[in-house]
Amino acid sequence: MPRLRRFALLGAAAVLGIAASVPRPPLPPYAGAYEPQSVDERGLWMQLDEAERTLRDSAFVVKDATLTGYVRAVLCRTVGVERCMGTRVYVIRDPEFNASMTPNGTLVVNTGLFMRVRDEAELAAVLGHEFAHFEQRHGLHRFQHSRSMTDVAAWMGVIAASGASYQIRSAAVDVSHSTIGSIFAFNRDEEREADMLGAKYMLAAGYDPKALPDIWTRAMDEADATSFGRKQKSHRYDRLSFFASHPTNLERATYLRGLVAGMGQGDTGHDALRTAIKPLRGAFIADQLKLNDFGGTEYLFGQLAGDAWDAELLRARGDLYRARGNPRDLVSAAGFYAQAIALDPADADAYRGLGLARLRGGDAQGAEALKRYLALRPDAPDRAMIQALLP
Amino acid sequence: MTLRKAAPVLALTALLLSGPPAHAGNTLIAKAQAVAVAKSALTITPDREWNKMGARPGRNSETWTLDGDGLNDVTFYGGIETDRTLFREVNKRVKPLPRFSATMLLPDIPALLENSYRIALATPLMTIESVAPCTFAGAKGVTFTYRFTRPDEEVRRKGEGYAAIIAGKLYMATFEAPDIYYYDRDIASFRALAASARIGATPNP
Repeated sequence: MPRLRRFALLGAAAVLGIAASVPRPPLPPYAGAYEPQSVDERGLWMQLDEAERTLRDSAFVVKDATLTGYVRAVLCRTVGVERCMGTRVYVIRDPEFNASMTPNGTLVVNTGLFMRVRDEAELAAVLGHEFAHFEQRHGLHRFQHSRSMTDVAAWMGVIAASGASYQIRSAAVDVSHSTIGSIFAFNRDEEREADMLGAKYMLAAGYDPKALPDIWTRAMDEADATSFGRKQKSHRYDRLSFFASHPTNLERATYLRGLVAGMGQGDTGHDALRTAIKPLRGAFIADQLKLNDFGGTEYLFGQLAGDAWDAELLRARGDLYRARGNPRDLVSAAGFYAQAIALDPADADAYRGLGLARLRGGDAQGAEALKRYLALRPDAPDRAMIQALLP
Repeated sequence: MTLRKAAPVLALTALLLSGPPAHAGNTLIAKAQAVAVAKSALTITPDREWNKMGARPGRNSETWTLDGDGLNDVTFYGGIETDRTLFREVNKRVKPLPRFSATMLLPDIPALLENSYRIALATPLMTIESVAPCTFAGAKGVTFTYRFTRPDEEVRRKGEGYAAIIAGKLYMATFEAPDIYYYDRDIASFRALAASARIGATPNP
């Protein structure tokens, strides 16, 4: 197929053109549209094609063409147009931080990822890592390895676990409900290999290399905040259990920092990411609030806010404190709602939160805020319930 | 003895050794007789026969059904105390459930159920659709409707609940069934149960 090959060369030239100023590690050659070759690979793809049909029709897929299109555009910029032709992108409603890619080219991105990547470069780092598993056929290697053990149970398990994935926060988070999207698919060497190749994609695409280690550093901070909020011990980052499939986050952050040292600056795409997720951020925040994770959520909101808390984040912070509901939390919550109202005096939900926080704290002044809520939102769905709370 | 012949013998032995199977606690609830539910002072007077499931969702709750809890599920929560979860923890360390508090306001109760379901069922597809004041078990209460989908089966389910905080304890009844057919067919039977809820009425007068 001479035409395909020429496209591949053009794609490679374009990628190299961007990176021409600094010597970059070369990307592996890519063959274009790929069909599974061996018996094992064909069988694996057949199973995954079926799983993908189920996923496509699932109620958990976020049917937002703009967001999905954005993720696709970032993937295409990262790995090159030629490579990304072989993939399909699905955004699924799941507030945990995860992304996965199966050997047949199904890329699954959790909505929780968008809350935790700070800019487009970080999103590109995650997508590049997942694509690297796909390109290196790590899923197939796992599949063949397990088949050779002739253990039927393990063999079936591997079909379910053949999705490329990494799990940052806690291994027990349940994403295994779909065949696509599961954990512990790869061993540590494969994870490291994917990290390295993912880094090459990113750098070739001109993204800021510092994004790579930063993700892992913040993942550790968030996990610590979650543990602290639950009065549990901090996770240990400096050692690895014998059965762990992934390098520890500390090890990852360290070797990635070494890899990108001296590579200079790149494009962060900070505003591009903010613009892309803006219409859905409120929904993502609401899902996060309902996880009953005070410490982790507080940390996450702080990261999202940076130096300037906007009204939406202040209201969400009020909701977080009000849900924990200790007397001091109710006072703090009322303070956050008041700040939100100062920034946006028409924020009906902030008045609702303020009123409920005060009433729950035994402050009768809450009624005034609730009246203001009803005045600002005449068609409030809970109007009768709120009125029943008024004296 | 071939394996096939041995099977019934083995099954019988297993049965004798393991004691009663898990479903043995299911019992028939007779109609028109007040019964205390969820190991509490909450009493219900059903206007038709129901089945009570042997397995409880938690220490202060119990489930009734007509055709099986996947098709129509009525769950009573009887006197949940401060700092208790609505039902059993699924993973206390990694995914702790939110806890009830007597200081909660009535609009906080539907949110408590929503968050508990989201965590226990690992689904973000759980939403409270409406909230309104009502009378439940003779007290000022809250009624609400909701909708959820479990990730392992993708069946769309609808639910309705009634709740009240009485003497610092949460009393609640919920009904949930598949959106298709069962919800509409059985919601009236549930509302009759909820309307008959009383606190401290003498069972079996």
